[in-house]
Amino acid sequence: MNGDSPATAGRSSAFIVSARKRKLQKITRMAGESTLFLIAAVVAIIVLFIFYFVARDAVPFFQIRGFSEFFTKTDWYPADDPPRFGALAIIYGSLMVTAGSALIAVPMGVSAAICLSDVIPFSVRQYVKPIIEMLAAIPSVAFGFFALVILAPLLQNFGGPILMWTWWLIASPFLLLAVIVVSELLSTSIQDDSRRRVVQRILVAVFGLLSLLFLFFVGKHLQEIQILTGTNALNVSIILSFMALPTIVSVSEDALQAVGRDLREGSYALGATRAETIVKIILPAASSGILAAVILGIMRSLGETMVVWMASGNSSHVPEPWYNYLESVRTLTATIAGDMGEADQVTGSARFHVLFAMGLLLLVISFISNFISERIVVRQRKVLSGQ
Amino acid sequence: MKKQWGRALSVIALVVIVANGRAEAKNGIVLDGSTTVGPIAKSFAAFFMNKYHVPVTVSESGSGNGAKSLINKSCDIASMSRSMKPQELAAAKTKGVNPVSSVVALDGLAIVVHPSNPVKTLTIAQVADIYKGRVTNWRQVGGPNFPIVVIQRESNSGTQESFKDLVVGKETPVVGSAETQASNGAVKSRVSLTRGAIGFLGLGFADASVKKVAVNGIYPTPLTVKNGSYPLSRPLFFVTDGQPSGFVKQFVELPKSADGKKIIKELGFVNKY
Amino acid sequence: MNLGTRKLLDRSFTALGVGSIVIMGMMLLVVLMPILSNGITANVFRGTIEHRKLLYNEFRRGDHAELQRQIAESDAARRKAYAMMAAFEAEMKLMSEEKHAGYQEKYDQVKSAMKALLGPVPGEELPELTRFKYGQTRWSKAEERLHELLYEKQWDYSNPDVEAKEYDVSRAASFQGTSLVKLFPYVESNIDRMLLPEWTVYWGFITDSSIDSHMFGGIWPEIQGTIFLAVGAMLFAFPLGVIAAVYFTEYAREGFFNSLLRSANSTLAGVPSIVFGLFGLAFFINTLKVSESKSVLAGSLTLAIMILPTIIRSAEEAILSVPKTYREASLSLGSSKWNTIVTVILPAALPGILTGGVISLGRAAGETAPIIFTAAVSVGSAIGLADVFSSPTPALSWNIYNLASEHEAASEIRHVQYGMVLALVTIVLMLNLSAIILRARISKKLKG
Repeated sequence: MNGDSPATAGRSSAFIVSARKRKLQKITRMAGESTLFLIAAVVAIIVLFIFYFVARDAVPFFQIRGFSEFFTKTDWYPADDPPRFGALAIIYGSLMVTAGSALIAVPMGVSAAICLSDVIPFSVRQYVKPIIEMLAAIPSVAFGFFALVILAPLLQNFGGPILMWTWWLIASPFLLLAVIVVSELLSTSIQDDSRRRVVQRILVAVFGLLSLLFLFFVGKHLQEIQILTGTNALNVSIILSFMALPTIVSVSEDALQAVGRDLREGSYALGATRAETIVKIILPAASSGILAAVILGIMRSLGETMVVWMASGNSSHVPEPWYNYLESVRTLTATIAGDMGEADQVTGSARFHVLFAMGLLLLVISFISNFISERIVVRQRKVLSGQ
Repeated sequence: MKKQWGRALSVIALVVIVANGRAEAKNGIVLDGSTTVGPIAKSFAAFFMNKYHVPVTVSESGSGNGAKSLINKSCDIASMSRSMKPQELAAAKTKGVNPVSSVVALDGLAIVVHPSNPVKTLTIAQVADIYKGRVTNWRQVGGPNFPIVVIQRESNSGTQESFKDLVVGKETPVVGSAETQASNGAVKSRVSLTRGAIGFLGLGFADASVKKVAVNGIYPTPLTVKNGSYPLSRPLFFVTDGQPSGFVKQFVELPKSADGKKIIKELGFVNKY
Repeated sequence: MNLGTRKLLDRSFTALGVGSIVIMGMMLLVVLMPILSNGITANVFRGTIEHRKLLYNEFRRGDHAELQRQIAESDAARRKAYAMMAAFEAEMKLMSEEKHAGYQEKYDQVKSAMKALLGPVPGEELPELTRFKYGQTRWSKAEERLHELLYEKQWDYSNPDVEAKEYDVSRAASFQGTSLVKLFPYVESNIDRMLLPEWTVYWGFITDSSIDSHMFGGIWPEIQGTIFLAVGAMLFAFPLGVIAAVYFTEYAREGFFNSLLRSANSTLAGVPSIVFGLFGLAFFINTLKVSESKSVLAGSLTLAIMILPTIIRSAEEAILSVPKTYREASLSLGSSKWNTIVTVILPAALPGILTGGVISLGRAAGETAPIIFTAAVSVGSAIGLADVFSSPTPALSWNIYNLASEHEAASEIRHVQYGMVLALVTIVLMLNLSAIILRARISKKLKG
């Protein structure tokens, strides 16, 4: 247990130490270090084991049934006679809720990260960060319970109005902004100041009216929507997005922080506003780090089990039409959790192995995306330090 | 030196604890299986623990899982809402397990809809068409113009398998858009909360929050299930490895005792004995 | 673009970021508020005399003499109602066959509504199931049951083209002209005296076992199972993680092996939780056979693997944040490298390492997917410490799922589910909060 470093070795030679003792020290040091190495290597061994044991039970499925049915068919009837294992609809369901959650979480997460790193003063930040950490800490089953018991009935009973109000809240500020910017851009060619202002106002009025009509039209349409079932892809996407947010925020904040002060200050010195600095200078510089954050966040959604199991409705079909988030879907994780009950573990039927095949699919996806995001982070670090 | 002695002692203590744990492993009754039999199993377990002070654990992970656990010898009693399949029996044989089934109770398979649904009766063919996806609107079976939300059970469920056998038939699959729920309770709460929903569940679960529909004109009640006039009914089983003995035997024979009969009746199931 | 618009865009950009953060904060509130407010009702609620009877009979809790006095008081009020029912039963016997049959079904409904409200009718055989032995133990539920006694829920199916509307029909009206008519106003005006509601603080919810599959009683077996699983996972993962972190920070040389180990760590961190469950089943139970079937041990091992990367990462960070001067001072005083690590660096990094450990403990307590196939059962009594190697256990996270979506009376016992969610969220957030505070103190200390 007495590993000695070169520094202490130097010290030992100052005293008279027999060659034998020094040799012994060297051996113990080697032994200690290799023990430590072995313990550290346990992680790698575990990863290998996970791949091996999941693959070991997944391979028989492909031997029995081949690849094409699993990846190309949408009939999932594992209990029927003969059984059918078309998992395409389930894979699609996983992708659908993941995409839905990314659609909500990525813009929110990135803008929150920007806000944390560049807008909010440090003193406030100290109080904001715990909120994000708490959000990350809430157990997934609690989110699932919320989705099932509170959000699903809400969506089912007041789905139309909720969709309408959300539309109004989100779309109206963006449209207003767009109207102002567009009318200004259109009127820049007019030289005369007072005339330009008049034209601009007219344009604002016209576009404003048009967008107001647009808002009303879409809002009315949304309000009339009847949500048949509250346990649907939308419900799950919303909840998953809040579970992915903390990852996205903290990783992309790190990426933003990694962009040095000099870039920011240079941009400000050239007269750019904060928004322009962030959008044109910092975001491009941090883009790969943010991409890594997004990948990690998406992986969290894809791998989540309890929320989707409890609140996705678990119906294995591709919604009609394919982008209909108001229908129930089924995901890979929920299928594994829910279907594991079936017996044939003993006889080793396709029924049992197909779930491991799904686990392997998840494992491979997570491995690849992890690898990519890690590469990205390493490269970004190299590029930034190179500057 | 002292430290090392301490370490050695703690290792010994740990080994003793482990050994103890192993020795004491098997003195309770372990049940695994169907969620339909779940309420009976759980109530029996509570009754049994109270009366004999024998620990009983109940997992409700599906009939298929119950059979698996029995074959793996990881449970004493498999509670099942269907009988053992030939493959399961074969697997049991190779593992040296000899499954012995005894009937716990009878259960009607109630077809339920949301209470706001005016539909009072459906034929088996109509229910089958709904589950095959050929009928998608209540108007087609004499109800209001409202889309049908089809709710089924997880594929490891014995209730699902009984329903498929009795109603839909083996060849045709259930429509893919059917929502899948994990248990009778979940089906009930989904149907009671969802306009236009249709589901099926054990008669014991069907309370006032959902509306039972007459099948082929016969309304599901304990009486119609027992005399066989209600078309959708099935027995529920406790399966053991070999003829049960000791506490397991007492547990399996509870349905024949007066107390057991009373519990079954109170839970809304139908007594066989 | 002119300056005004640019400024406007700048402001809206800021608003977008602040808005996102505010939405996150609000989401946290929206999730936590109902859990908190409904979860509390599992502990604090208006309990009826039935609740006090139950507590005394099942747990021998409460003042016997006072209870007897209250039972006598409520029985006095109930007796009249039962007398009215008996009188009507006698009246029915005198009716014509046809009339009798017409009333029988409706009377049965009234009787079962009375049983649901007040418990079994005296003189009849006592039911076996605990849930039917008592009336409503909670006043809020009792009020719902009272409504069901007074009114019959009916649906208006007159127009087949539209969804039926729900409406209430007074039951009293359907017994017009019989002696039973008096029952309904009597029960309505005397319900307080029949059930004697009073504010009750039921801490037993946390420390009692459940009765009749969570219809009554508490959630102690679940809490204990959660603690066993989480602490068990820590026992395996914490020493392993800290040693691995020491290796990574102090001994590892840059190279192929090291980067491989690091990628392995981040791969492990990214594995979906359900895959850990599959692995636990395939490896610990089916291959190593650490136990015959599900057990706390198998669950703990699976959870340990899941939290290992987090522990390694946070321990690494904590060790790296120990100022270089500490190390140099120790080495220059002639202590060996290992000695320096054990006596100087680890103690200095300990708070940081503990922070990571505490957060991982919370994660292990809250995770569900890895224990579905390895450790969790839906009903079971609290297990002893010696049983952790062979017995499965109920656990909060799994039982929340089980009660919310598999229990036969899921909508009847919402308060138990909320109580469980509150217990779990409290455990996890408390752990996290202590980690946050711990970290704040460290950073203060480091700043000096």
